[in-house]
Amino acid sequence: MLAIATKIGESLLLILAVLVFNFVLVYIAPGSVIDALSAGSLGDASEAQIEAVRERLGLDKSFFGQLFMYLGNVLQGDFGYSPIGNRPVVEMIAPRIFPTLLLAFSALTFAVTIGIAIGTAAARRPDSFLSSGLTVFALIGFAMPVFWTGILLILVFGVWLDWLPVAGMNDLRMSSRAGFFERAVDTAEHLILPTVSLGVIFLATYARLARASMMEVLQSDYIRTARAKGLHESKVLFKHGLRNGIIPIITVLGLEFGILLSGAILVETVFAWPGLGRLAFEAVLNRDTNVLLAILTMVSVTVILANLLTDIVYRLVDPRIRTGGRA
Amino acid sequence: MDQPLLSVRNLTVKFGEFKAIDGLSFDLYPGKTLAVVGESGSGKSVTALSIMRLVELGTRAKVAEGEVLLRRDDGSTIDLLKQSERAMRSIRGNDISMVFQEPLTSLNPVYTTGDQVIETIRQHRKTTRRDAAKRALEMFEKVRIPRPDKVMQDYPHQLSGGMRQRVMIAMALSCDPRLLIADEPTTALDVTIQAQMLGLMKSLQQETGAAVMLITHDMGVVAEVADDMVVMRNSKFVESGSVYDIFEKPGAAYTRALLASVPRLGSMKGKTEPERFDLVDREGM
Repeated sequence: MLAIATKIGESLLLILAVLVFNFVLVYIAPGSVIDALSAGSLGDASEAQIEAVRERLGLDKSFFGQLFMYLGNVLQGDFGYSPIGNRPVVEMIAPRIFPTLLLAFSALTFAVTIGIAIGTAAARRPDSFLSSGLTVFALIGFAMPVFWTGILLILVFGVWLDWLPVAGMNDLRMSSRAGFFERAVDTAEHLILPTVSLGVIFLATYARLARASMMEVLQSDYIRTARAKGLHESKVLFKHGLRNGIIPIITVLGLEFGILLSGAILVETVFAWPGLGRLAFEAVLNRDTNVLLAILTMVSVTVILANLLTDIVYRLVDPRIRTGGRA
Repeated sequence: MDQPLLSVRNLTVKFGEFKAIDGLSFDLYPGKTLAVVGESGSGKSVTALSIMRLVELGTRAKVAEGEVLLRRDDGSTIDLLKQSERAMRSIRGNDISMVFQEPLTSLNPVYTTGDQVIETIRQHRKTTRRDAAKRALEMFEKVRIPRPDKVMQDYPHQLSGGMRQRVMIAMALSCDPRLLIADEPTTALDVTIQAQMLGLMKSLQQETGAAVMLITHDMGVVAEVADDMVVMRNSKFVESGSVYDIFEKPGAAYTRALLASVPRLGSMKGKTEPERFDLVDREGM
């Protein structure tokens, strides 16, 4: 329990460090929101008017002045105002969080479950066609950029076969009076292609990891003991094998969550998925620093929370860590 | 003499072209202890795994020929090599159970010792978890584990080597098997714990009447607990007989060499290094 409390404390400190780091990163990046505004709505504004906007946004302050103002506001839950969207940042971000998390978790679930199933089946017969096919599939999965996979999927399932929707989260023609179930089914249909295109690269990782891990586990003495007890092979595999084989996968899962969210940015752009990724992409183009900082913070916090969760699950799965064992 | 509980006839096991066991035959009688003796790589453990039909699972091994006849309670015999996998699952851990050499790696690190014993009991007996836990506790007491209720909640890494092996023995005996195969059960243990473990196995055998097949390379262990022995070398049968007869008058040159390799107290007196003994191959075994 103390170990988990320590981890939570560490995570909070890490979030603070990440807030500062994100701010520095955006501060030193070339261009500012004023440049973007000058090219757009402030195109005809005088120097004095531009200076007034700069002052209103706090951009006239020193680096440390801006940093402390930012940290103070964020700690109070205020992510500032977006001069591009002309709205508070929180209002812009809030409706985008759920779609991104939905896409990320659905891609993760797809990658983990299918990956473990394929990897485990391949580990049982290392010389089989499935096992060597997995290596080829993993190479292809690694080599294909997510946006390319996305475009291919759109072409095959959206254009040629016309089986699945290819853009957005819901059908635009859907009635506003549509019930929850109808809407959920529609969202699920829209989710399939983005999930597959984001999940496939991770699927390859998890399948190979599961294969390697399960091959080692299946050679273990305790697997021989489980068989000698008269257990059915499925119980040997899933109860005794997988519980041990899954440990390295959990470790990688936490570490890769950040990569998953960055992959989501590309996938959301390809599939017009209304998530944080697309908003981030637009914020970068518009130098909308407040929105960008808020998204970076959200993503960082999610990654840190995912790692914290990984640590907790790791302890639940492996009692040797929980009880401080040496073996 | 009784009918044998287990008869192995001309057992041959191959790994590809390599014969890991080559035409092995022996009998094991109810209530007796048979030691299978030989150096590392002689095929002792493969013999045990072949009897359990575990040798082919997850390896490239194949039982090429032979019979492994198990006498059932009703007096009939079945050839284990001809049984379906489903039938073998009902025999493993129930009629025949096994204790392995390394108790730490042989117990699953992510389940408590109690859970692992309960699982065995519930696999073969139609019983509730509560009754199975009661039976597991009884078994822990039987193998003389101190504070058994606490140890049942412990994970393998929290126990000492001797305690883990007691858990393995409790698990192996939990369904009252008629044959216990112990594959080097004392090799990974300290010498003092070895003696305790052998004593425990002997007394449990007297209590339960189970036959024991003891795989070992330790002639001291053979002398202490076994009734009969089979000597193996390079996958082949060398000789078999009662322990008394073979220790008294070994028939094969290899057995003599094996017995001679056991260090004796005082044999180094006045010498700076151990005395060399003839390599068996030179005698044309």
